[in-house]
Parts: sequence; C-alpha cells; structure tokens
Amino acid sequence: MARMKFLCDADRCIECNACVTACKNEHEVPWGINRRRVVTINDGKPGERSVTMACMHCTDAPCAAVCPVNCFYTTADGVVLHSKDLCIGCGYCFYACPFGAPQYPKIGNFGSRGKMDKCTYCAGGPEADGSKEEYEKYGANRLAEGKLPLCAEMCSTKSLLAGDGEVIAQIYKERVMKRGYGSGAWGWKTAYRETIES
Amino acid sequence: MLIKRTERSEAASRGSVAATLSGQVGGLDRRAFLRRSGLAGGALAALGTLPIGGVRKADAAVAGPLSAGATVRKNVCTHCAVGCTVTAEVLNGVWIGQEPSWDSPINRGSHCAKGASVRELVHSERRLRYPMKFSGGQWSRVSWDTAIDEIGDKLMQVREKSGPDSVYWLGSAKMTNEGAYLFRKLGAFWGTNNTDHQARICHSTTVTGVANTWGYGAMTNSFNDIRNSKTLIIWGGNPAEAHPVSLQHLLEGKELNRANFIVVDPRLTRTAAHATEYVRLRPGTDIPVLYGMMWHVLKNGWEDREFIRQRVYGFDDLRKEVEKWTPDEVERVSGVPPAQLERVAKMFATEKPSTLIWCMGQTQHTVGTANVRTSCIALLLTGNVGKPGTGANIFRGHDNVQGATDVGLDIVTLPFYYGLAEGAWKHWARVWEVDYDYLASRFSDKKQMETPGIPLTRWFDATILPRTDVAQQDNIKAVFVQGHASNSITRIPESLKGLKALELLVVADPHPTTWTSLSVEAGRKDGLYLLPIATQFECKGSRVASNRSLQWGEQIVKPVFECKDDLELIYLMAKKFGFADKMFKNIKVENNLPEAEDVLREMNRGSWSTGYCGQSPERLKAHMKNQAKFDLVTMRAPKDDPEVGGDYYGLPWPCWGTPEIKHPGSALLYNTNLHVMDGGGTFRPRFGLEREEKLPDGTTRKVSLLAEGSYSKGSAIQDGYPEFTLAVLKKLGWDKELTEAEMATITRVNPANPDTVSWSLDLSGGIQRVALMHGCVPYGNGKARMNAFGLPDPIPVHREPIYTPRVELVAKYPTLPDAKQFRVPNIGFSVQKAAVDKGIAKQFPLILSSGRLVEYEGGGEETRTNPWLAELQQDMFIEINPSDAADRGIKDGGWVWVSGAENNSRARMKALVTERVGKGVAWMPFHFGGWFGGNDLRKNYPAGTDPIVLGESANTITTYGYDPATGMQEPKVTLCQIVAA
Amino acid sequence: MASFERLISLTVGALAFLLILTASTPSIAQQDQVNPTASSVREQQLLREFDRIQGRVSIPDQRSSVLVQPAGREWREFRTVALRWVGGIAILGMLAVLLIFYLTRGMVRLESGRSGRTIVRFTTFERFVHWMTATCFIVLAISGLNITFGRPLLLPLIGFEAFSEWSQWAKYAHNYLSFPFTIGVVLIFLMWLAGNIPNKVDVDWLKRGGGIIGHDQPPAYRFNAGQKAIYWIVVIGGGLVAASGYQLMFPFYLSGIEGMQLAQVVHSVVAVLFIAAMLAHIYIGTIGMEGAFEAMGSGTVDMNWAKEHHSLWLEEENARTGANDARRQPAATPAE
Repeated sequence: MARMKFLCDADRCIECNACVTACKNEHEVPWGINRRRVVTINDGKPGERSVTMACMHCTDAPCAAVCPVNCFYTTADGVVLHSKDLCIGCGYCFYACPFGAPQYPKIGNFGSRGKMDKCTYCAGGPEADGSKEEYEKYGANRLAEGKLPLCAEMCSTKSLLAGDGEVIAQIYKERVMKRGYGSGAWGWKTAYRETIES
Repeated sequence: MLIKRTERSEAASRGSVAATLSGQVGGLDRRAFLRRSGLAGGALAALGTLPIGGVRKADAAVAGPLSAGATVRKNVCTHCAVGCTVTAEVLNGVWIGQEPSWDSPINRGSHCAKGASVRELVHSERRLRYPMKFSGGQWSRVSWDTAIDEIGDKLMQVREKSGPDSVYWLGSAKMTNEGAYLFRKLGAFWGTNNTDHQARICHSTTVTGVANTWGYGAMTNSFNDIRNSKTLIIWGGNPAEAHPVSLQHLLEGKELNRANFIVVDPRLTRTAAHATEYVRLRPGTDIPVLYGMMWHVLKNGWEDREFIRQRVYGFDDLRKEVEKWTPDEVERVSGVPPAQLERVAKMFATEKPSTLIWCMGQTQHTVGTANVRTSCIALLLTGNVGKPGTGANIFRGHDNVQGATDVGLDIVTLPFYYGLAEGAWKHWARVWEVDYDYLASRFSDKKQMETPGIPLTRWFDATILPRTDVAQQDNIKAVFVQGHASNSITRIPESLKGLKALELLVVADPHPTTWTSLSVEAGRKDGLYLLPIATQFECKGSRVASNRSLQWGEQIVKPVFECKDDLELIYLMAKKFGFADKMFKNIKVENNLPEAEDVLREMNRGSWSTGYCGQSPERLKAHMKNQAKFDLVTMRAPKDDPEVGGDYYGLPWPCWGTPEIKHPGSALLYNTNLHVMDGGGTFRPRFGLEREEKLPDGTTRKVSLLAEGSYSKGSAIQDGYPEFTLAVLKKLGWDKELTEAEMATITRVNPANPDTVSWSLDLSGGIQRVALMHGCVPYGNGKARMNAFGLPDPIPVHREPIYTPRVELVAKYPTLPDAKQFRVPNIGFSVQKAAVDKGIAKQFPLILSSGRLVEYEGGGEETRTNPWLAELQQDMFIEINPSDAADRGIKDGGWVWVSGAENNSRARMKALVTERVGKGVAWMPFHFGGWFGGNDLRKNYPAGTDPIVLGESANTITTYGYDPATGMQEPKVTLCQIVAA
Repeated sequence: MASFERLISLTVGALAFLLILTASTPSIAQQDQVNPTASSVREQQLLREFDRIQGRVSIPDQRSSVLVQPAGREWREFRTVALRWVGGIAILGMLAVLLIFYLTRGMVRLESGRSGRTIVRFTTFERFVHWMTATCFIVLAISGLNITFGRPLLLPLIGFEAFSEWSQWAKYAHNYLSFPFTIGVVLIFLMWLAGNIPNKVDVDWLKRGGGIIGHDQPPAYRFNAGQKAIYWIVVIGGGLVAASGYQLMFPFYLSGIEGMQLAQVVHSVVAVLFIAAMLAHIYIGTIGMEGAFEAMGSGTVDMNWAKEHHSLWLEEENARTGANDARRQPAATPAE
C-alpha cells in the first residue's frame, strides 16, 4: 500500500495560490477556512522562498494523539482523517499540529469553535466513499476515484508533489541533482521524522 | 475593504453543488447529530457494535463519485494569455467541478489561483442578472428589448447630432476572436475607428515596436520553447504573478539547462526570487541599461556579425547611440553597477540561445515603444531571433489580447493589420461582400475613415477637451463599453469629469465594474445602462494565447440568468441600427446568436496578411480533442497522426493558405532553419525594398532592405525577396501554377490591374499556395530594422519619465515635444517642464510604480467578486521600503494616505513595508477599485452586485504621459508622497 | 516538567526569531551581485536557528503565518504523558492520603460534645457564593478531567459516539460555567480577604498540627491556617485557571500558538493540583470533621465546635455581640 505524502519543492513554488483555490473549488471550502495556505519566508529579500502548507498527514500524527475524543484515524494509504461526528471542536489538535493545519469554523459567541476541518488529502471522511454525506462534511473524495489531491494536480509549477512518499522523494532528489540546489523537503523532518538527502 | 461574511455558514456555501446533486441543501445540523448519537438512542445498547481503537470507515457500498454521469467540456482560462485549458465537469446543466487538463501541452494540468477558481465566475451570486438602468439617481430593472431600444435610439441621436465618431466603442480582450472581430466590424458599419480594447494599455507599444522591427508584433517563440534557452532575461515582467503557469516552463528550463535566469526589475519580485541574477534599476531607465549591455557587447565583439550582415538593417546608426552609454553614464542614470552590467551582457551575448522576456514593465511607459524596440535590437545584435530558445518572448496579459489585437479591435487598423487605407477598406468590403461605398457612407468623411481613432487612454480627454482640440466632428458623447475596466486607465480624477459629461454610458459586462461606481461618484444621475454579459465559459469560440496558438473553447454551461453572449449583443445592436443583414450576410444567426464557427470562417477568408486563414473551426476543434499528441517542447504532433499530423499546437499564426493545404502553423517566427511548410520563416519586408542613406561626405547610397544570403530552408529563392504579387509570380514564371479558379478570384480582386494583387489581398489563397510550394514565405524575405525609420525615435533614445525624481537629467534626456496624436493633443513635454519648474519632485519624492497580483486580474472586479480569490487579498496596499517608511513613521500594515502629483489626488490604503522595493520607490497593485479618495463607493453599485473586496485604485494617483506612437499611458513611473493616516 | 520549560524557552525563542528577522535584513542596493537562487533560505538551517519557521501570508489569519512549529510535538508529549502523570499522582495520591488518614484517624469528633447552642458562622450570601462556586467547580473539574482522562478511561466503556456526545456537552458546560465560577472566585476573594491574612496565630496552629493531626485544639480566629491555605489556593488557583481558561476559550486573541500551548499547560497543571486540594477540602468539610459541614450547610455551628476550632473567633464574636445577647438567642435555639 502506498504511503501518501505531500512535498513542496520551495525552489519551484511561486506563491501563485493555485493550490489554495483549487482546494476551495474542489471542496467548496467556505470563507475563513484555509485548508491549505502559502507562507513566504524572507518576503521581499533575496533568498525569499514560498512554501505551500496543509495537513502533512504525519507519521504518528500529533493531532490524533492529543484529541480528547479520539476522532482521528489513519487510512491504509497513510492519510490522517477525522470524524466530524465525533469532533467536539476543542482546538487541541491545532496546538499539537506542527503545521497549523486544523481549521475551525467560527460559530456562535466568544470564539467558540465548530467542528474541526482540515485537508483530507482529497480522501473524504468516515462515510461511504463518494456519498453525499461524505461530500457535505469533508468535501470530495478523489483518492477513492484514483485521483490525487487537486492542489498538487493543479500546481502551476509542479512544485507541490503528492503521492507515495518514496516516489515523490525520488522525484525531488532527481530534481535537486539535476539543478544543483534545493532548500529541503519542508516539513518532512517534523512530519515524517526523515529528510531527503540532497 | 472586506465585507462581513459571517452569515455564510459552511452548509449554506456548499449549497450550490449539494443542492444540484441531491435536490436539497445539506449539512450536518445539531438535530441530525443528536438523532444519530448514541446517547439519544441508548448508548449502552450500541456498545457492542462500536469499533474500538479508532474510527472506522463506513462499510456501506461505495457510493461512487458524485460526478458520475457528468459531461466533460474544455474551454480556456479567461485570465492571462498563457492559455491554460480548463476542464469542466457538467451535471444537469450545472458546472460541478474542475479537473486538471493533463493533455494540454501548455498547462499540463496546472493552473494558478485564478485558473483554479474560474468555476466561481460562472456561479457567482454577485453577477449582473438582468439589464439595469440608472435614471433619476435610481436603479431599475429593464427588459433586454427596452434596453436595446433605448440605447440604440440614444446612440442614433448622438450620431445624428455629433457624427459617428462621437460614440466610443470600447471592446475587450476578454472576448473571443469572434466577438472581438464582430465588435470591430460593428464599429466599421457604424462608421468610426474609435474602437479599442485593453491592448492599448497593455502591449500596444509591443505590437507597434516589434512589428516595426521585424514584421509582426507578437511573441516570437512560445512558453514551451523557453525550455531551450540557456540564458533568460525577464525584463520588466513578473510572470510568477502575472503568468504563473508559464513559470513551469521557465523554471524547468532553468533547472534542466542550468540556465542563467536573470530578472531586471525595480522590484525583487516573486519571479526574481527564483533568479540567478537580479538587477535592480530605477523605473523608467530600461533603455540606458539595455544600451549599457550593448556597449559591452560591442566593446568585446560579442555581436553576431554574420546574422547582422544578412538579416539586419541600421547597425551603424545603432552603434552611434550605444557609444553614448558608457558604464558610468548607465550607472548614473539607472543605478545599475558596472560589474553587474558587464556580467549580464556577457551571459546574454555568449551563453546562447538567449531570450528576452518582457511584459508591462517595458510597455507601459511614454517610451514604451522605444523600450521594446531596444529589447528587439539587443536580440538582433546577438543573433538571438528565429531559433529555438531565443526570441522576444512577450507575455501578453489578457486571455485573448493577442487575438483581439489581431482581429483589429483597434484604432489604427482593420482586422489583421491591414491598416485603414482605402485598399484595406476595399479588401474587407470584398470579404464582407458589402459595397465599399456603403461603408464609406457610414463615416463622417473619407478622411476620418482612414484616420486612426482615439486611444481608450484618452476617451475622457476627448470628452472634456474643448471641441476644437479634438480632431473629429465633435467630442465623445457616448461610450459603449463591452468588457473593459475603467480603473485600469490612468488619471481617474480627470476621468470623473468625462463620466459626468457623457450623454450615454453603456456597460456590458458580467459585473457593473468601476465604470458604474465612479459614474455615480462623479454625479451621474441618468443615461447609464448595465447589460449582463456571459463569461466566456458560457460561450464558445476561439481565443489566441500569447504564443499565437488558437484554442477553441466549448460552451461549458448556458448563460446564467438573463446574461447574453457577446455575439448576441453585437447582433442585437446591429439589428437595432438596421445593418444586421449586411453585417451578418455570410454568418448564420440563430435566435439572434451568430454562430461562432461561421464568424471564424469569415475571418479565415480575409486574414491572409497574418496567416489566420488556415485555422478553420474544424482544425481547431481537432487540436483540442488531440491535445495529448503534441510535444511538450516543440509543440508539434507526430506527422503520421490522421487528424493533426505535423501540426503545431493551436496552429500558431501565421498558418498560411487555406485550411486544405494543411500548413502546420508557425511555432517560432522568422526561423530560417525550417521549411516554410514546417513553420519556417524570414523577417518581413514591410517598409520598402531599399532605402537611401546619407553618407558623411554628403553623398547618398541605396541600401537594400531585403535579406542578404539568408533564406528559409528549402527556399527556391536563395536570397532576399519582396512580398509575392501576381507580378512577382509572373516574373518567376510561377503564375502558371495558379488554378483557373484562383486566377479568376485574383482578377476579381483587381480587374483593372491584377498584377498588383498581392499574397494578402488574394482571396483565393493561390498566390500564397504557389509561394509556399516553392519554399518561399508569402510576405517576402527582408531585414529586421535596428533603425525603424518612421517612428518618432527611429533609433530608440532614452527619455526621462514625465514625472521624474531626477530633474537634473531632464535637460539632457527630455521627453518628445508636444504634438497632436490620434486626434488629441499630447502635451507631455509641457507637463514635464512644468513639473520640473514647480519642483514637484521635492513635494512628491517617491517614485510610484504599479503592477499585478496573482490573485486578481486587470481592473479586478471579476476576481475581487470571487470569494476564493478575494479572501487571499482583502486590502489595497502600497509597498514601501523600510527606510522610507521609517522616515515617515509608517508601520507595516498601518493605514497611509498616498497623494499624487496631479489633481490633488489622494488615496487611503495599507502600507506593506518591504525591501522588495528599493529606497525611494513605492509600488501598488492596480486591481483594486470601488474606493475613491478615501471614500467607500460600495453604495454606488446596484444592490447585490458589489465585489466582495473594494479598495483604492492605483490609477487615482497616476498621472499624465502618453507614448507618441500608440497612446499608451504611463502607469509605471510617476511621483507620490506617502504619509501615515 | 521538561515540557513546561521547553514551552517557555519556545516563547522566548519565537520573540528572538522575530527580532532577528527584522534586524538581519541585508541591503542589496549596494551589492554587485544578487543571486536569489544561491541565497535561498533552507529549512534545516532555519530549524537549527529558530524554534519555528514563520513568514508572511496575505490572508488575515496571522496564525497561518507560522509554517512549522515543532513545539507542537513537545506540547503533545506534555499532554499525553506528563499531564497524565501529574494529574494521576496528584488526584489519586490525594485520595490515597485521605483514605489512609480516614482509616487511621477517623472523623475528628467534637471533644466536648454538642452544646445545643449555635452561632452563625456564614451568612446566607456567603453560603450562596460558596455553593455556587463549589457546584461550578465540580462540574468544571469533571468536564475538565474528561478532556485529559476521558479518552483512556471513559471512551472504551461507552463507545465513540456516546463519549463524543457527552464530551461535547461537557465542553459547553465547562465553557459556560466558567463564568459563575469566576464570579464566585472573585466574590470569595473580596468577601473573606479580611479573615485570611496570615498571622502569628497560624504559625502556632500549624505547629500544633491544626487539631487534626493529634488531638490538640490550637486557637484560631475565624479562619485557621488550613482554611487560609484553601482560601489562597482557591483565589490564586482559581485566578490562574480562569485567566488561562479564558485564553483558551478566546483562542488567539492575545497570543500566538506558543501562548496557547502555554495557557493549556498552566490551565491543566493548576487545575489538577486544584482538584487535589479541593478533595482535601471536601474531606474535612464532610466526613473528616464532625460539625464542620454545618458551617456551610445551615450556616450555624455549635458553640462547642466554635470553641474547639475557632476559639479566638468565638471570643471576638462574643465581645462584639455580648451586649445584645437577646438578639442572638433565636439563632441559638437548637434546630430540633
């Protein structure tokens, strides 16, 4: 079984935000919920790099560990998903997440949070694959249709790679070898406890 | 500013798609949750069935993709001119999703933020839904019939009183070729050349400058071909934000070739972040830096002498100008360090193939034409034209700005660059099968018929200047805008006077645009109509990407609400004016909607000059169907393919001859290494065959303007040659190869003197066919011009911007004298002099430039209405260098007032303190609108049609300045002051 | 508490990072060569230098500008390991101590038996405040403990859906009851401040084991040192859980992610210690000491109880009201 991962080649990322709007489009993500975002480091200076970030679907995911109601689960593909039926919107997964992935719709008064929403790797949720219920709660389930996450598929410069970890690591390694530079597989050490030697 | 969106719940926003799918608005509410929960139903009883140790996927049978049964339709993204294919899934007439377009050799599945969110443009709740009329200061809904009647009557009344030139027809680069062509045709039948579109403010200077250099004013190579380059210079462009998908090709090229990736720009842009060398120059000093590079090229003998000898005219004149630009003078004027200049010059001239890529950083200047000319000269000097990996790769802005320009939605020409001379009118009269005399009768006189119209940059000057200053019967009295923003045009404070003075303003657009909000702000109470127009995704037709490839877009969904296709509105206007029968003589019209395929066929029949004659709708559709077959780098399909064999993707023009001769299109212009039937070409001799030059000793000599010893592969004539006419064919003895039918058509074109009928006027295509069969390029084989005699500066000259902070340089490098251009005065020289005399630069010490954000496009109303995009840029801002900010006590993210050098203009926005801009330079994005002088104009939009994000327009602050050759405005260099608000 | 220290260092590190970001801005205007590709930032280098990686985002949600914060992993260790140990030891330990104490000492009896005469110890308002705070506390404690211990203890018993449903309501209760609880703590602070300033008598009282350990009856004013300790635990502990709790309830209004993690650490650690302390308080107020519950129950205590446990207070009361004995009489009537 594949182990699905994301890899952002920051030397290709141009902060075009295609990944962000592709995600919004595919899942009809409402205003204020940012399942994916692009962060620019050293903005405006030589050495500036942009990195797109969403849930990295960590190995031994911290969100799952800290969840008081144990609403997370990992699929056979290594995708970290959660059940909105079980989530109580406590916000703890956000504190544990190294990547700022969990999002909460603001509902009601005093900052009270609705059920957590995050990148599903376009793999839906616990409901039956491709069901209406699944779509309404989590958005589309592309993985079940044999497609990869739309953010990576639509990336303007093929900077954001999605797929089996070994395959995308190989692609990245080859790129770095060919071009002679690489700023690293951002987030991999934190998410997967490994880096790609370059 | 952002409006509150809190009422938009997750469930509600998913409603559109969910409702389509299931007939009900879904979402999980509290009650449903309770019903389902274990507590309500007895938790303990359910214990045994609950999974332990983690949530488990439901076992229910797989429901299958929600998009099951959806139809897939392909169209082309309506934002920039990269030409990304958009793949849409449609279910029950609703566009339910976008999929990656893997097969397109241009975007290979990719999109940018805009392309990945185009579905929302169609779905938007904030679109205009039905025609609206503003009278007595109130909005009211009217029917299409009423709107067309009232608008038509008023236009005819203006025509009666002030002549046909008093109506300004402002079209759009957003239209398909078919729409833009019909809009130009409408102008012709109405009787005016006042028909323009966004190319004026985007690449009009490129079109003029580049065409005057080597024949055609378009990108010479393609995005894909840049993969071959060893040195790329991006000069005055930020494709990472303006053309993001092009970066896929650029960055892969950079990586695979370990190419030099040089960015020359006043800002360290997102593109520059990926450069191997970044050159910061003072805005408006492109010519000095280019000449500075050439100085090193000449000093070191890096020029391509053989190329220049064979294919270039005016090298000696250039040398004289280049000698003036020593490294010291270049540094004094532009700030570029000599060592860097030399290094860049060396890479460009010696690590070939090299390409120069530019965008509006070069074009949007009073010296725009001269800028692009200098860039072309740099390419010619180093022999970097007409080969893979070289060329002037000009990234066009709008999705069909190249096409709309080609089809002549312009003030200086009829479709396909035929010009406005009598011969051109007669050619189109023949194509349209209408009497030349009838067309002439539509104009106020023959002179106006052959005089270029007013550039859109000057529409309000032509409205408010004294009548005697405007060289036509009367001022502009009515403006009919179909798909153009008003906040993209400089000097907004003055345009408000124009907006008030107009007798009629018609805005035909999917959105009300700033034409509406600014008109109301200007005090307009009546005579304003809004007509809802469909997006291109609701229409079909062809559009031209920057690389000259034509792509056919399918209608994805039917126009929503009461929106109408561009073509239908044009037909309805023609019908109202009473010339629809003549105008649509050869075009099938069904339910008032002209058939796009028929319009394209009519264009095919008349577009010989530009090689738009081979791209039949059938061939274009076959290309869209067979996208996967085209090579990534050459863009060519395998020769043995039954449908598109040997073609270049999208049949990039020129695609010579009739569709039947199957010319493959020309992926690279002027490439002599290929046979013309494989897309090869030569420089086009457009400016005579020889030229008399004065020598220093007072004598004269004649210099040939035809190529010397250079010719395209397989050419029967192995030297320069003029354009083909029947006379030339006869001289060569090739006239006998014309068929009888072809000969008959040629004779019909000019019965009195068929010998003069040329390759571009021959409606049979016979002359082209015969030339091609002999491996010759129909337009001839000439030299490119370093000296473009006929232009205001035949050899480009540096001229300081109208408003420059370096007043001490104005005496040496003044702008051109005042003159009347395009029917209106251009008083740039007086304005520059007054600015220097009054010490404007002391009062407004910061240079102000402007440019693009990736999330928005153009005037931005459409994209600022799209919540997926609007969320990403919610505030208008100005970039300011940390040291300038510190001097002024300005904090990052704080509010500031920006004041401009004219009209006491001022605008309120947020400060973005960043080193991206150099000291003394400020920069604004130009997409915002809906604020003016600190006032929020949201109330000026008809209820429910206001964009989500509003903000001050950059052009509130921009100032006077027009390129003498094209009327291009100057939004890239002016002066401003910034204070904390 | 390595995690705790780590969090503090994280906060400091983040501030330092921001400072460095603003300070280390090389001017490129004067440089001859600018090669953005070669000077690109590298992730591993940034992570070595800083505790997290932060940049610029265009969306207003500034939390999202933090790209990577490995501190999340530290916080997770705290929450899933350290906190469970701290909480478990504190609460189970306290229960164990109380049990042993009860088994060895039993209920502290009134040495001199009941006199039949009572004296008002707490007014109706005081008792209302106490019980309001106490009720809220119990609900907050249970719902709070549920967040930390519910998943390993309760979830396996009742299953996912029931547990989530219960936890959801527990969360609502926790959020809403925090308000009356906070008001209660504030009122307790104001109401009983005067009687809870430590003094010399407390030293003596403590030396003599407070009359609980052993059978001594050291003198005390209205509140003895043990009660004062409870008072200060309630005021300081309550103040801390309230402050950190509101930060958690209004996330990211005041601080970034590191502040939220810190707030959770403070909230949870203080809360479990608070709960442990309150267990002791409950014990003494109920089965631990004869006659003590009445003080908060009916509000009156037996004169002998007062004499034995709060002799100095009784003297004060008598001195203050001795002139008008008649006024006290009705209250002194035996209840039955």
